[in-house]
Amino acid sequence: MKFGVFFEISVPRPWGPETEYTVYQNCLEQARLADELGFDQAWAVEHHFLEEYSHCSAPEIFLTAIAMQTKNLRVGHGIVTCVPELNNPIRSAERAAVLDLVSGGRLEFGTGRSATWTELGGFGANPDETKKTWDEYVRVIPKMWTQERFSHQGRAFSMPERTILPKPYQKPHPPMWVAVTSVGTEIDAAERGLGSLGLSFGGVGEQAQKIEGYRKRIQSCDPVGEFVNEQVNTVSFLYCHEDDEKGVKTGQRMAGTFNYLSEQTLATRQAFPTPSYLSPGLLYQLRQESTSGPEGKVPQGLTIGDPHRVAEAVRSWEAAGVDRINFLLNVHETVPQEDVLASMRLFAKEVMPQFAQTDAAPEPAGATAAGGA
Amino acid sequence: MPLTGTRDLTAIAGSAPLLTSLDTDPWELKGAQHLQLHYELGGDRQALLPPALHPSIPPTLLVNVTHVPDSEVGAFNLATVRVGCRAGARPRGLLVRGYCDSAAATSVLRERWGYPIDLADVWFKPGYARAATSVTVDGEVVLEGELVDPQPITGADVQYMASLNLARVSRDGEEKALLLQVDPDFTFERAQRGRPRLKVFDAEAWNLPGASAAHPISASLTTVDITLPSLRYLVHPERDPLGAVERLPQPQPA
Repeated sequence: MKFGVFFEISVPRPWGPETEYTVYQNCLEQARLADELGFDQAWAVEHHFLEEYSHCSAPEIFLTAIAMQTKNLRVGHGIVTCVPELNNPIRSAERAAVLDLVSGGRLEFGTGRSATWTELGGFGANPDETKKTWDEYVRVIPKMWTQERFSHQGRAFSMPERTILPKPYQKPHPPMWVAVTSVGTEIDAAERGLGSLGLSFGGVGEQAQKIEGYRKRIQSCDPVGEFVNEQVNTVSFLYCHEDDEKGVKTGQRMAGTFNYLSEQTLATRQAFPTPSYLSPGLLYQLRQESTSGPEGKVPQGLTIGDPHRVAEAVRSWEAAGVDRINFLLNVHETVPQEDVLASMRLFAKEVMPQFAQTDAAPEPAGATAAGGA
Repeated sequence: MPLTGTRDLTAIAGSAPLLTSLDTDPWELKGAQHLQLHYELGGDRQALLPPALHPSIPPTLLVNVTHVPDSEVGAFNLATVRVGCRAGARPRGLLVRGYCDSAAATSVLRERWGYPIDLADVWFKPGYARAATSVTVDGEVVLEGELVDPQPITGADVQYMASLNLARVSRDGEEKALLLQVDPDFTFERAQRGRPRLKVFDAEAWNLPGASAAHPISASLTTVDITLPSLRYLVHPERDPLGAVERLPQPQPA
């Protein structure tokens, strides 16, 4: 089992001149500590216009800052929105390659398509098209990285032959993932040989079923990249404290705040009737199992409480077949920064060692840094 | 905490229906045709909502016109314009004024579900190439719009927001302006999606001063069985969102 940190970068109102600066600096400090403590990876979302919920609109810059301040932490796009109105695919490939180079081959490349009208409508994107454009992006970007010359005639975009530069440091290219929130996306990931980047908090039972389907389907995949990235990543809230009750209460406050903020945005389905978005979106799924279990108990898999409870939650994910867990460390600055850092240290001291010898995560075949081991 | 509204609804509650009981039975309206024109809202997003509600991100304007071909009070057309918002974390549409073309239906909807509606000429013509509507009050057109370029979708693709109807409720000898949650059940027979086109929107006539339809999102036309439910929740508009929702006692099954 590998552990990472996951950044949404939520910024509470009122927005003073220092508010966003402080939140960003807190996140960078968390990333530096994660690197020191032996966490394996840091992921950052791409969101636009999502007031208070997420101010992480330029993750490539934020992840570069993390890479420059850390030694071992891998940096992950969770995700790059594969919609032409938001990201040109050529620029996405170029930016990712540069980040991989300057980080010394530490990039994880997550892909997705956005779940909100707030974002898609803001850029004038057509929700009917996003699944198709995502599919086109994940097929062409690895070719842009690996082919010396590239040209394309497609639906989302076309281009004459050019040499797309630079090429990533990892050869043949960085591991690729897809955000799995909507039902069935795990199969989309498997069919293309992509890693499953689970983004629905909580819900071990439901995700166990998805993972089983993913593992089965990926055996007969037609990979879009040069190698199959058979890995399952999930995300959870982390608040670890010696006092179990305080840990649980604080963690549940984080989760509740997260869900409350996420529901303020306009899910695509709420605004634009389309078969392209079958479920109400990321936001609805988050609410289901993340804040309270039956009779107010902590839901299985929610990594909050004392080290014993947190370790049990990690074990439930391990049993479900998850290879990596990424932790959301704070929401809306509801937890003081010092407490966030203390939670990370306690987790690293008491919980992380319990999983150090059970490294069940299969490494992606073929993804190695060109100059590294 | 997300932004909250600033509007004092008591200032406009005088013409809202007065309910002395919140105990009502469901009402099934079969074979209705329902048009929704969905826009992003222009104007001051907080000024149109009371403190109990958050503007959604972005806030929206929902134009809904329903043709009911038959009911216990006969056929009628109902037109509402709502502000898309959030009650806590729940998506809702605030309704402070609407219109209906049947006096009998107006009475039923006001008295049982607190619809703040008045009698007016509501014209609605659904069609395969377009669906058009207009509302005329005292000879003035206060709404004219249409769905254009329809294409078939399924009812499963459509999601309507529950309403919060501004009403006065008399309880324990006290009369108070409250928002009644009306969350109908929809059973879809047919659905189409198109582009909305709003030609006339008189915000004052809908008690939404300063509101405008700033940016089109979508339009839908459905043939649907609608069941107006028993009332289950209400919202105290002047309260903080986290303490504004009241669950109503439900009749025990026999």
